[in-house]
Amino acid sequence: MSIGEYIRDSQIWKSIFRHPAPYDRRNRVVVMLTNFFLHLHPVSVKKQGIALSYTWCMGGITFFLFLVETVTGVLLMFYYRPTLEWAYNDILALRDVTTLGIMREIHRWAAHAMVITVWLHMYRVFLTGSYKPPREFNWVVGVLLLVLTLLLSFTGYLLPWDQLAIWAITVGSNMARATPFLGHEGPGAQILNLGGFDLITNASDARFILLGGRFVGENTLNRFYILHCVAIPLVVAGLIAIHFWRVRKDGGISQPL
Amino acid sequence: MVLVALLLSPFVLAWTLLAGTSVIALLATARFMMPNVLIEPPRKFKIGPASDYDLGTVATKLVAQFGVWIVHTDQYRGKNLIYALASVCTHLGCTPSWLAGEQKFKCPCHGSGFYITGINFEGPAPRPLERVGIRLSEDGMLEVDKSIKFQEEMGQWIDPASYYEVVG
Amino acid sequence: MDPHPDLTPEVIRGLGWLYLLLAAMNALWTWREVKRHVSAGSIAGWAVFTTLLFLVGVAHVTGGAEPEQFLIRMPEWFKSRVDQLAKPTTYFTGSLLLFVAVIWLREWLVKPTVAWVLLNLAVLFMCLSLTDYDFRQIVGKPDNVPIVSMLFIVGFFTWLYFRRAVDNDQRIAAGRPLFEQEDNDKILVWPDLVYTEMICMIALTAILVVWGVVLQAPLEDPASAVRTPNPSKAPWYFLGLQEMLVYYDPWMAGVVLPSIILVGLMALPYIDFNKKGNGYYTFNERKFSIITFLFGFIPLWIGLIILGTFLRGPNWNFFGIYEFWDVHKLENLNNVNLSELVWVDTLKQPLPVASAGASEWQKILAILLRESVGLVLVAVYLFVLPPLMAMTIFRRFFVRMGFLRYMVFANLVLFMACLPIKMVLRWAFRLKYIVAIPEWFFNI
Repeated sequence: MSIGEYIRDSQIWKSIFRHPAPYDRRNRVVVMLTNFFLHLHPVSVKKQGIALSYTWCMGGITFFLFLVETVTGVLLMFYYRPTLEWAYNDILALRDVTTLGIMREIHRWAAHAMVITVWLHMYRVFLTGSYKPPREFNWVVGVLLLVLTLLLSFTGYLLPWDQLAIWAITVGSNMARATPFLGHEGPGAQILNLGGFDLITNASDARFILLGGRFVGENTLNRFYILHCVAIPLVVAGLIAIHFWRVRKDGGISQPL
Repeated sequence: MVLVALLLSPFVLAWTLLAGTSVIALLATARFMMPNVLIEPPRKFKIGPASDYDLGTVATKLVAQFGVWIVHTDQYRGKNLIYALASVCTHLGCTPSWLAGEQKFKCPCHGSGFYITGINFEGPAPRPLERVGIRLSEDGMLEVDKSIKFQEEMGQWIDPASYYEVVG
Repeated sequence: MDPHPDLTPEVIRGLGWLYLLLAAMNALWTWREVKRHVSAGSIAGWAVFTTLLFLVGVAHVTGGAEPEQFLIRMPEWFKSRVDQLAKPTTYFTGSLLLFVAVIWLREWLVKPTVAWVLLNLAVLFMCLSLTDYDFRQIVGKPDNVPIVSMLFIVGFFTWLYFRRAVDNDQRIAAGRPLFEQEDNDKILVWPDLVYTEMICMIALTAILVVWGVVLQAPLEDPASAVRTPNPSKAPWYFLGLQEMLVYYDPWMAGVVLPSIILVGLMALPYIDFNKKGNGYYTFNERKFSIITFLFGFIPLWIGLIILGTFLRGPNWNFFGIYEFWDVHKLENLNNVNLSELVWVDTLKQPLPVASAGASEWQKILAILLRESVGLVLVAVYLFVLPPLMAMTIFRRFFVRMGFLRYMVFANLVLFMACLPIKMVLRWAFRLKYIVAIPEWFFNI
């Protein structure tokens, strides 16, 4: 009896994987049905539906990059404090002092890559016409995920608290000042007043809510940190689940009918 | 009659009530996100006597702490004025720099340019820089009040609270 | 004026490795040509080219001692020519022509040899350009590396799309089954898909780790609310929006247009009534939708990102790719509003203003009168054009879409067109705003 057989014959192994190794057709089907992580997939697919030159693999890569971002992000949170006093220094320390500080590099590069792959995924889905019935709504979910990916990247951009960060966020968030009706420099904001009292001022408009202040400051750093690490990832995770579930329910990856 | 009966039906009333409550809850949450206490520099501060500011100069020393330039010029409608301009570009809120050589404020983000008067003349900025309140306080010092602002295009620069006129 | 250090031995050695990589790629290509039994002349040509590249690469790797004397570099006349041509107008005209050319010549472009020659040219262009200091300053920035690679990646996938689409179009024309339908039996996910996924994940992890080790993430000076860096750029994926800010006010470029892009993307499956082209690559069966989408994605979105990243310098001025980013470069930015063109230039009278003691209503009327031409133009654009188009160019669409669907579609098309239109107006008439009401923060 080889060691492999011995392990697979043990009570522990059998309690986890309740079927023989996937060496024959039957067990290759069973493994897909009984494994929690694998059951996202169907048991069998059309050959062209998984050809790389057809799918470009971009959706899968985006999902994998999301997982990479989650893992490296959680690790970075052990070393990073979102305060004016410490944010920049903690990033410096990650670069110069911390063992395996390249975690930050991986996090940043994977974020850039994720933006590109999510665009390419949309590009491919458009070019194969995969948004056509019955998959219209899943395309909508996909567009939401694309926006949230950009927002994740945008909120993360501020966290190093260097010159690049605050000015990119200043320029980016200043557009919110000009939101029609909801920004204090947007068209229509002047109409919203009650008996001479302006409802929309620079301390009550859309940008103020986003930044938690009149300019990019400590409140902003904290808000973006929460959005980046908790709020948006939760929504994204939920939408990813719906997105994948619908891929299966709408008939798998699109194919000529 | 039918319409009124329909509008008063329990079904419509209940859903309207639920929708209304939800909207109120949403607005309340938005209000929750607006902090009441802000740790920001004081909005009112003394900047020394008027004699500190020579004619034809722009003092940039207060930009770092308070975000204002103190301008002393006679180019705005021929009057000899000292006023405080907020150092916030009216395009997207970057901080322009005062280029003494070219006698203009130039914004590094998108290239908006403003004359010493604060009037925009190049680039995408849609309107002039904003003045903030300035007055001569009782002890002879100039006092800047950032809580009020004056916009040229609204005709507010004729308000005497927006400048200090140097006499003699 | 040449304040910067030119080539250094490290740069030359780095370029040498790039040339060697290209030589290796071409060696494989030559091998492919040998196996395909193409003409001896062509094989010899590729072999000579590969050898040349190899020699150039070796010369770079070994001969970096006297960097200033190094001969293989982009010629100065070429650089100055390119910098002279560098203007927003030439950039957009060029990208538009390229876009049309790609679609027009797609059947020729999808040939592997053509694509390979183009790839070689692109890499050689990069290598030669990297000998220029200013080009290196922009392209070599760590944050810009993903954008440079994105150019090659998007180019490759667009080529791949056209290759598959042209192939399928020919199959449809000849009545043969689609490529996606041939050899399309069901296969088991374990092992065929599961293992592909695993290999993909391992490869990606390796790439990310190497990338993270080789290239340090940028970290600039600590944040300071006073010193605005020049130029200040939004994160690179929003640079398209920042470029729109040159032509539109923040409320349009930063809020309304992005929202419309998103709504438009989400509405897309409900607008496109064409049942064909679901689940396979094709161009001929969905010409209109493909061209519209490609136009929005390539010249407008990706094109504006490239423009914002590589060609916009201090003060948001336009710079050639080899041009020194001179903070004092002066550019005439004096633009005029439509109201001034109408009242002052054409009617020879001052802009209408309300008299000193006017009531609120009189002030509002004066403003509306001042901007009346612009307001009418905008109203015509948004409300008259859609029915007009329904009767003329989009007649067929209107009939098949129905009223609501068509109105959404027509408005989306008009909003997409409003960016190029404003650009052309700006270049042709130095037009700043069509409607300029800064009093209400309402500028279009």
